[in-house]
Amino acid sequence: MINFGLNKLSKQQARTGLIFMMPWFIGFLIFGLYPMVMSVYYSLCRYDVLRIPQFIGFGNYEKLILEDPYFWTSISNTLVYTALRVPLCIIGSLLLAVLVNNAVRGVKFFRTVFFIPSIVTGVVLSVVWLWMFNPQFGLLNSFLAYMGISGPLWLLDPNWSKPSMVLMSVWSIGGGRMLVFLAALQGIPKHLYEAVDIDGGGWWAKFRNVTVPMISPVLFLWSVLEIIFSLQVFVEAYVMTQGGPLNSTMFYNLYLYNKAFNDFEMGYASALAWILMIISLIITIIQFRLSKNWVHYDGGAK
Amino acid sequence: MINPKAKTAVKNTLIYLTLTTFALFFVIPFLWILSTSLKGNEQIFVIPPQWIPSTFMWDNYAKVFERIPFLLYVKNSVFISLIVITGTVLSSSIVAYSFACLNWPGRNALFVVVLASMMLPMQVTMIPVFVIFKEIGWLNSFKPLTLPAFLGGGAFNIFLLRQFFLSIPRDLLDSARIDGCSEFRIYWNIVLPNAKPALATVSILTFMFTWNDFLGPLIYLSDQAKGTIALGLGMFVGQYVTEWSLLMAASMLMMLPMLIIFFVFQKYFIQGFIMSGLKD
Amino acid sequence: MILAMGIFLFMPSDKAPDDGKIRLKYWMVSAMLEAPFHITEFNKTHKNIFIERTPLPWNEHEKKILTSILSDNPPDLIFLVTPVAKWATRLALTPLDEYIKRDNFDSTIFFPALWEEMKFKNNIYALPLYSNSYAFFYNKRLFREAGLDPEKPPRTWDELLEYSAKLTKRDAKGNYTQMGFIPTYGNVHTSVIMAWERGAQMLINDGTKVSLANQPTIDAFKWMADYYEQYNVKDVSSFQAGFGFAEQQGFVAEKLAMMVLDNSFPDQINHYNKNLEFGVAEIPTFEGFEPVSFSGSWWFAIPRGAKNKEAAWELMKFAVQKNIQLTEAEKQRELLFPSNSSAANDPAFLALNPSNKIFTNLIGHSKTPTIVPLAHDVFWREYIGAQERVIHKLQSPAEALKQAEKIIQMHLDETIEYDNYVRSKVLVN
Repeated sequence: MINFGLNKLSKQQARTGLIFMMPWFIGFLIFGLYPMVMSVYYSLCRYDVLRIPQFIGFGNYEKLILEDPYFWTSISNTLVYTALRVPLCIIGSLLLAVLVNNAVRGVKFFRTVFFIPSIVTGVVLSVVWLWMFNPQFGLLNSFLAYMGISGPLWLLDPNWSKPSMVLMSVWSIGGGRMLVFLAALQGIPKHLYEAVDIDGGGWWAKFRNVTVPMISPVLFLWSVLEIIFSLQVFVEAYVMTQGGPLNSTMFYNLYLYNKAFNDFEMGYASALAWILMIISLIITIIQFRLSKNWVHYDGGAK
Repeated sequence: MINPKAKTAVKNTLIYLTLTTFALFFVIPFLWILSTSLKGNEQIFVIPPQWIPSTFMWDNYAKVFERIPFLLYVKNSVFISLIVITGTVLSSSIVAYSFACLNWPGRNALFVVVLASMMLPMQVTMIPVFVIFKEIGWLNSFKPLTLPAFLGGGAFNIFLLRQFFLSIPRDLLDSARIDGCSEFRIYWNIVLPNAKPALATVSILTFMFTWNDFLGPLIYLSDQAKGTIALGLGMFVGQYVTEWSLLMAASMLMMLPMLIIFFVFQKYFIQGFIMSGLKD
Repeated sequence: MILAMGIFLFMPSDKAPDDGKIRLKYWMVSAMLEAPFHITEFNKTHKNIFIERTPLPWNEHEKKILTSILSDNPPDLIFLVTPVAKWATRLALTPLDEYIKRDNFDSTIFFPALWEEMKFKNNIYALPLYSNSYAFFYNKRLFREAGLDPEKPPRTWDELLEYSAKLTKRDAKGNYTQMGFIPTYGNVHTSVIMAWERGAQMLINDGTKVSLANQPTIDAFKWMADYYEQYNVKDVSSFQAGFGFAEQQGFVAEKLAMMVLDNSFPDQINHYNKNLEFGVAEIPTFEGFEPVSFSGSWWFAIPRGAKNKEAAWELMKFAVQKNIQLTEAEKQRELLFPSNSSAANDPAFLALNPSNKIFTNLIGHSKTPTIVPLAHDVFWREYIGAQERVIHKLQSPAEALKQAEKIIQMHLDETIEYDNYVRSKVLVN
């Protein structure tokens, strides 16, 4: 009797469970799986949505790898941007988290202040910094001029445009990422630090041998996520530079957008999207491989 | 040896000094934006810049409303945000409930698919999805921006709510089941009320994302009257490149709701990020 | 509950007054603030049609129009400046041949060069409404200050360089405070004009072959490189970053003494800086070569799938009539030049503005910026990119132009191939 009842109950639960997850499943089929399949097909076509697709095999891939200089420019721009931005943002947020982890009075107030810039994202962030970067009247060069330094042209100089955009994202290091790091820091047992004290180690030894290993899973997770985000950078370049000067901020995603929705070359843009997918995948796999050397999942247990 | 009290004092002074330096770095841009938004053109292009405008041009804010249909954009953005929040909260919570509190075959395998779909860059699906919406005649309407929220509400939100639901005591659900409650009642009357903080977090993060979303409206909305505030601001840059005071005033107006929400719901912001940064 | 109420409150409403009139949706890509005369007059004289004008900003206008066609809800009429061929090959426009034949519409009223641009593959897809024509503007006050004769604008590019040196000023730190001429500032690319003046042919073989790396264009790029060598790219960019629109436009703000501008500028200058004393002349040329100008055509056309095609055609015919174009010219502040040649040559029009005569004459020997119609965007993107690379000394003129030529050619070939494929598979029109 009891067995039968449980069985019936679990059968019913299985049915309800399937019904409840349906919204996601349907969404996944329509907006995930089907588009992925179609995207492969489009990437093998000439297609502008207004007319019928023309199948051309691997023509798009051949063209973008062999003959399209912008493809390579946009890849290298995106990689340089990612390589500058990710370490700076992760280290910046970590240092800030260490700083606000000090139990001094009023630290919560500072934490709030640090968080505020991260609320400003996307278009507003870009518009505001476009003005900050103005070489003649912007805040940065006014400040530098006050210090007696003649500032760079920032976004107008091909050598400075990417670093400028990285600098802009440093403004947001006090946001969610810092909070996560802070929570991780607060989860480190005190006795581990005391052990270093007994061994006579200073703050660097503590940071190097206790803090970093203990929060390495969080650091790892965020570096994976940040790299994926950075590879997809779009709005900043769209609003501030449209890819200029001299294509120095022609990021991968901006190029893809232009191909898809300015030139309506949807087939070509689909091929671009797949290459981006493959690049992201390769980088993530490499990160997982490397993570074995520095990420400690067993830390807290002992 | 240095006396430990003095050492603490030096240390604290250093900490406050660093804290203050960073605080200035984070806050000064806001003051600069505010100051610019209240200046006339002749005051903007002055070297060295003035921090406090000689005359406050409150007019700039009024001009924003004249130059672009700002009110209409706000209205559209609020409308889209409200629908997206409703859809996201309802559908991601019910899906999360299924993944967290119900047993069914293949559940764990599909949850891996949920997590994996987070890694899929939207660029890959963007074009075919655009074609789908074209085929069903939804281009240039709010539907592509709002209705998908009802289908799962995003893998990230499902993940976040599932983590939270797992922390609700199992006994609570089981005793309700024994009392003969339907699963929907359990979800609606027990799980949802217990998950208010998590739902608030999801709503706020969803709002922030929708309010700031640029690419979605850029692709789908072509009618001027259907613009959103992010789109409006983005286009404003193109049209009035050097009317900095107006641009800054418009930026201030767009930031305002986010700042208010941040100050009111600080707690949920912090919770949301900490929850999403879970170790696994 | 609150959410539901909120959604209801913010629900967008689409209400159109129901007065039995045909509502003609007319999208205009332009910065015109007021409705042009042809619209107000048409609304007055046609009781059964009401025109709803929507100004479209330049940014993303193409995407907006194409998406509206894709969503089966296009406007009935669009007003644009980009090449007709580009829109026609995408099957985005309704051919007008039947209407023209049926109504015996007389196409000889237009400047012939403008009319030619309305065609693609033996069909007519649009009517020209205005043209904009460019001339050389200079600031008489700044000329006097520099000790130059305000009635003698430079005739050759060498003269322009001499004048430019005299008109350029720097402050104590070495920053520019005034410049004579910036060859890449504005809508017109000085280098293209220079190349044309020395006979460059950029599209050959019946529109199938791009020729950019030709001697006249290489020479024009060399001129650019020399100019920026002399004035320093970074200093010029920094100075130019202070320019904007309207009263902050470089020439209007009197920061720049000479510039190639279009026929809307006499009015704009009047509006934003009344005290600016300017002269208008032909664009300089090289010793022994004829000057060339630049003029684009603004056209209107009926998108594919438009609901009110007859009404739209009615308005098109109406707007290009001589008397309508003349009155429009009188009333409109930011006027574009009439496409109807008898309107542009009418004494009443020439008397409107002292510079109108110069512009009317220039249309005779000007060339269109639509150089490679089927690869227009790519052409300009590549051309400007190549010029930038030369200016920044990253490539020699010949290298930069060869690279650009290759990419444009590739794109042109693909466009033609795709067009042929589609035409072989579906019944076009």
